[in-house]
Formats: sequence, C-alpha cells, structure tokens
Amino acid sequence: MEKFVINGRRALNGDVYISGSKNAAVAVIPATILVDGECRIENVPDIGDVKILVDVLISMGAEVRFEDRNTLVINTRNINSHIVTYEMVKYLRASYYLIGALLGKFKQASVPFPGGCDFGHRPIDQHIKGFEALGAQVDIEHGIITAKARELKGCSIYLDIVSVGATINLMLAAVKAEGTTVIENAAKEPHVVDVANFLNAMGANIRGAGTDVIKIKGVDRLKGGATHTIIPDQIEAGTFMIASAAAGGCVTVKNIIPKHMESLTAKLTEMGIRVDEVEDSLRVWGNDKILKANIKTLPYPGFPTDLHPQMAALLCKAEGTSTITEGVWDSRFQYVDEIKRMGAIMKVEGRMAVIEGAVNLTGAPAKATDLRAGAALVIAGLIAKGTTQVHNVYYIDRGYEDMEIKFRQLGADIKRVRV
Amino acid sequence: MLPCYIPTGKMGVRDAMVDKETMMFKMEKSNADQAREILTTIYQALKERGYNPINQIVGYILSGDPTYITNHKNARNMVRKLERDELLEEILKYYLESGRQEEKK
Repeated sequence: MEKFVINGRRALNGDVYISGSKNAAVAVIPATILVDGECRIENVPDIGDVKILVDVLISMGAEVRFEDRNTLVINTRNINSHIVTYEMVKYLRASYYLIGALLGKFKQASVPFPGGCDFGHRPIDQHIKGFEALGAQVDIEHGIITAKARELKGCSIYLDIVSVGATINLMLAAVKAEGTTVIENAAKEPHVVDVANFLNAMGANIRGAGTDVIKIKGVDRLKGGATHTIIPDQIEAGTFMIASAAAGGCVTVKNIIPKHMESLTAKLTEMGIRVDEVEDSLRVWGNDKILKANIKTLPYPGFPTDLHPQMAALLCKAEGTSTITEGVWDSRFQYVDEIKRMGAIMKVEGRMAVIEGAVNLTGAPAKATDLRAGAALVIAGLIAKGTTQVHNVYYIDRGYEDMEIKFRQLGADIKRVRV
Repeated sequence: MLPCYIPTGKMGVRDAMVDKETMMFKMEKSNADQAREILTTIYQALKERGYNPINQIVGYILSGDPTYITNHKNARNMVRKLERDELLEEILKYYLESGRQEEKK
C-alpha cells in the first residue's frame, strides 16, 4: 500500500506533458482481439488499467511486448478462448469491452460483470440490447455475462441513453458482422473516435464516429499490421489545468487536443482564470480571485463527469457558493466526505453538490474512494495549508501515469510513501 | 502568411509608388491556397501513418473532432488553421469548378 504526502501552498509553474488517454487505451487494447495480424499501439499510458488488460490478453494466449514504456505490440492470433475469469478483471471497470471484442471474434463471450471504481450503477442494458439486436443471446448468471450468436447480422440500434461503453462495445461486436450496422444516438466522446480510427487502420469500415450516427459495414477480417497512436488524455489534461488554476502560478499543459478541452476552458475563463491556446498546448494562469460557478456534467461535448471531483476542489477557493450537478452517474459524490476532512464546506442535495467558496483548506489524512476522487484530493492537498496524506493511491495509479512526478516537476511538494 | 516587401505610403499603393520608404507588408494567403496546403499535408501525413486519408478527412469534417487527424507532421495543428466550413467550401468550389471545366472540354 502507498500514499501521497503533500505539503501544500506551493505555486505550480512550468510545462507538463500529457500521456495517452486511459479511456481510449482500455478500449483499443481489447479491440486487438478482433485483429488477425500484429497491432502496434503508440502513446499507451503506463497505468494500472493497461497493465491489467495486458495481463488478461497474455493469460488468454496473446503475444504482447512493450517496445518501450509507451509502445505496445500485440498479436492475438493465438487466443482461442472466449472466457474471461473474475480473477482476471475484478479491478477493471472497462472489462465489458472484452464482451464486444470476443463476441465479434468467436461469436461467443463469457465475461464477469465490471469491477473497478464504484461511483454508481453501471447500466449494461444498452450493451445487451445492442448485442441482442445483432443476433446474440445474452444471459447473466452468477455474475457472469454470457453472449452467444450463431451469426451476427448488421442491424439498426437506437441507444435509449447516450452511452460511451455501449457505443464502443457495439462497434466492436459489429465490425465483423454480416451487413451494415447503424448505431443511433451514439456517444461522441473523443475515445469513441479513437477506437474507430484504430479499427479502421486495421481494416474495418466504420463511418460517423464522433457524430450521433455511426455506420459500420461488416468486413470478413481485420488484417492488422498498422500502427495506431492513442490520443492525449483529456481528463489528465483537465486535472493539471484545474490544479494549475487552484495552486496559482502558470502551467503549460502540452501534447493535448485543445478542442477536447473546450468545456473546461470555457468554465475556467468564466471563473476569471486566463487560459491561452498555443497549437497543441494550453497555458493556464492561476489567479487569487476565482469566481463562483455552476456546472453540470454531461456527455461530450458537455463538461466531463471525470473532472467533476477535481473541479469541486478548485471551487473551494472560489468567491461565493458554487454548484456541480452530476448528469452522468448516479453517485459521484464519495469524494465529498473525504475533502470535508480538509475543511471544505460542501453538501450533497440529490445529484447536486453545493460548495461554499473562499475556504482555507487545511492538510489532513484522506483516502481516495475512486480514481477521480483521488485526483481531487491531490488538488485539495496542493492548495491546503500544511500536510495532506492521500491514501489508496492505487486508485490514482489506475488512470494517471506518474502523477506525483509530474506535479513535482511543476514545483509541488509531493512524494509517494509506502505505508 | 507570406511576408514580402513593397514600397507603400499612407495613401496606399499608388501613393507608395512615389514614396521611397520601405515597409513590411504581410500578404494573406487565399483560403483556396491555404485549404490546398492543409489538405495536401494532412492527406500525406494520414497516408504515411497507414490510415485511409479520405475517410479520416470526411470524419473530421463531419464531426469536427481533430482525433481523426494524426499528429504526424504536425497535421493535427495544421488542420485547425481553417474552419471546417471554409475547408468544405473550398473543396466544393474546386470540385464544381473542375466539373464545369470538364464539361466545356
């Protein structure tokens, strides 16, 4: 077990380079199951979820090697099982992508219910609805989702709610189905586009990713042999932007796609924080005077739910009372009790957090309850007076590559300590 | 932007002909030239990275997501130098004008 020990109130200054997107990587790696040849994937973040997925593929018979820390070469031709055990994926929230990939390859899949962070009921019904529309029979017994089809046939699927997981999973299942599949009311998140780019580079025929209608013409095989570069992590970039705004100083967040940050950039600007765009970078200028804000999380291009807890930490410094309404998950407020240990004044009313601003946070021991809650506690620790200890760092390691090293390079006093 | 030097004065080019001062004047590239340069560069970059360039560019124009454009050869930054509607306008103009010229032949 490890914890972060943070001595707060040090301004952040300098450049930080953003790693590859966790949310894209955890979908692209299972997608390699569909490919007959070798796949080379660059800019893979060195994070816990990627390590788990690599272990899963290896245990199923895939050949996986790291060319360097962030470049994976995967060949899944020797995978001959459609079964994933609970032990393999109990800590992984994105394990359901294995269903779509295995169903697409073997016409059958047996995968345990998703594990990982717990911030609310994860509806899998849209995935099941789509698999059934493609011709699969889906059963859930003893915590295992089993999908089986004699053949998968293209169809039209209207998603009742915008779901990133269901959109990607149905793309995976449909990519080798007979005929054309149309997904309507599809999610538009950048990692949906990145997965489509990967599959197309390997030989798929997917159009419309990034819009609300995606068309997939089934192909006989994905020949592979191509190189794909994972997009920069929108949430890691946002975390550093918010931290920079909170801690003061001037940080340039590099190697990002500024377009993906528009909802955050607009909100920070509204709060009186200066953000400058320079090609693939955003420069954030910390400000002592931060204005209150009302935020609602929504599917892309709305404000990302994965930046909700971090934003709550920043709003502790704002003048006046702010609110964050959670529009994606049922329960994303587990960070509230932990951040209150540091003196934050917050309350949760239904799906809304009400945050009193102009509070001087003070260092305290706190524990990460999930990945993004952990990031929020680190930001709170950076602005708090005195020493903060953030426990359960393994949650943070699931989705952030070298978080404490990157903050240290910006001038933060943060270290990783074995407990 | 192409920097070039022409003699000019307060009253403009005609006045400039009799003015001996030399000033720097930046000449904007036309949208057509810029669109051609952008499309050629990103096409080449996408091709070199093994993607289907036409599909990727269509995806970008439809969705507006630069994820479609590789970062290779700085293509992702370059594509944002023109708005999508301006790019599409130049593509349509070129296509339709080429078609008209073909008909004349």
